[in-house]
Amino acid sequence: MTPVIRTTSRLPLFKRPWLINSVVTVASVLFCLLLLPTRLPGMELLGVAPHWLLIWVVAWSVKRSQWQAAIAGLVLGLLQDAMTSPHPTHTLSLIVVGVLTARLQKQRYLQEDIVSVALIVFAMAVVAETVLALQISVDQLLVADSLYPPLNKIWLYHQQVALSSAILSSLWAPALYYPLNRWWDRYATES
Amino acid sequence: MFALRRWWTRHALTTGMVALAISSAWVLRANDGALLYEAYHWVTRPLQPGMSREQQFENSYILELQQRIVELENQNQALQDLSAYENTLPEDGVRAAVIGRGADHWWQHIVLNRGSRQGVAPGHVVTAPGGLVGRVVAVSPNTSRALLVSDPTSRVGAKVSRSRVMGVVRGQSNNRVVMEFFEKLPDAKAGDVVVTSSYSRLYPRDVPIGRIESLDLTKSPAPEATIQLSSPLPILEWVVIHPFEPLESVDIPTLPTAEDQLTPGEARP
Repeated sequence: MTPVIRTTSRLPLFKRPWLINSVVTVASVLFCLLLLPTRLPGMELLGVAPHWLLIWVVAWSVKRSQWQAAIAGLVLGLLQDAMTSPHPTHTLSLIVVGVLTARLQKQRYLQEDIVSVALIVFAMAVVAETVLALQISVDQLLVADSLYPPLNKIWLYHQQVALSSAILSSLWAPALYYPLNRWWDRYATES
Repeated sequence: MFALRRWWTRHALTTGMVALAISSAWVLRANDGALLYEAYHWVTRPLQPGMSREQQFENSYILELQQRIVELENQNQALQDLSAYENTLPEDGVRAAVIGRGADHWWQHIVLNRGSRQGVAPGHVVTAPGGLVGRVVAVSPNTSRALLVSDPTSRVGAKVSRSRVMGVVRGQSNNRVVMEFFEKLPDAKAGDVVVTSSYSRLYPRDVPIGRIESLDLTKSPAPEATIQLSSPLPILEWVVIHPFEPLESVDIPTLPTAEDQLTPGEARP
């Protein structure tokens, strides 16, 4: 154990694995954030783009504990709030997605391959949009002068958004999941 | 003599063939094998390149230039349209390109490439050829984010231009908006032009929004009209940002102008 620590501590700062790994992780999040406002051809269905942050959270949570997943959901939710509007918040939906994904893998119902990840992303996209729609509905019911439309319109729109987002996100999920997971696996074996 | 004749009868065909072969070879040699090369040309025809390489490159270069001209003409047309539209506006605004869309599925935003450095501030009004687009809700030094009128949380005080009937235009998320009237039996019909009213606190008055597409007078609690927006929100490329001071505080009453106090009967031409 000690020689390993000695060799890593002797490395210059920019070559240490934890630093490289965090740089890559942060860069991938930044990449997802910059993809959010773009509408590239092939990435749009009924005006809805893939939910890149959700794909990232699923990729992160597949092999991690619930707490790690929840923290990732919180951070990315706050980032998305920053890019859109903080009311209602995206943190809740992404935390739910992270925790559910982490729990799902624990029980080993599904194998860890690309198809099952696409399926998880499909289900989680529906979950995330439902959590947002629930928040909007609660706001509509409880706040007196709510700006939101009536409930039937919210849930009609929810159907559209959830379906297009789920289809697009699950199709694009392997593009993000595969390289990220490869990297994290390699980093885990190296360290 | 007899011997010669017998030789001839036996070998006439052979001699003829040999003579023909030699003479035809001679003819070919005499004109430098032109016939052979012609034949070679015909046989290898499918393998030959259609045009010389230089010609091909030249042709594709000309095609590229032609296509570039088409693109420049289109760009020029779009900018001329915007410029003509700008000239019709009473105040000058900041011209901005649409560089992004909402980072989420529930909010209808656009991201513009002008920000606080160019004097854009939250509350400024965004229009495009066609009419109202939305208003700026957040700025960074070089970008700004505008909430579209089609967002479900957007409310615009509006009136029907012909009959002065007041209402509120609300977004429907999918690039459609509806207008809710205050009156139970509004004087409005399909095709009427809808503009912002002077009661609107967030938008300047008399900015065109769109036309009434259909009416639903039985809608509860208020009759409703579906509005077709006149600016093409899903395909916007250029917009103009106008400085505007929104009246955020509700305490200050907005005084109706003389125009709005006209009764519907008087306002009609």
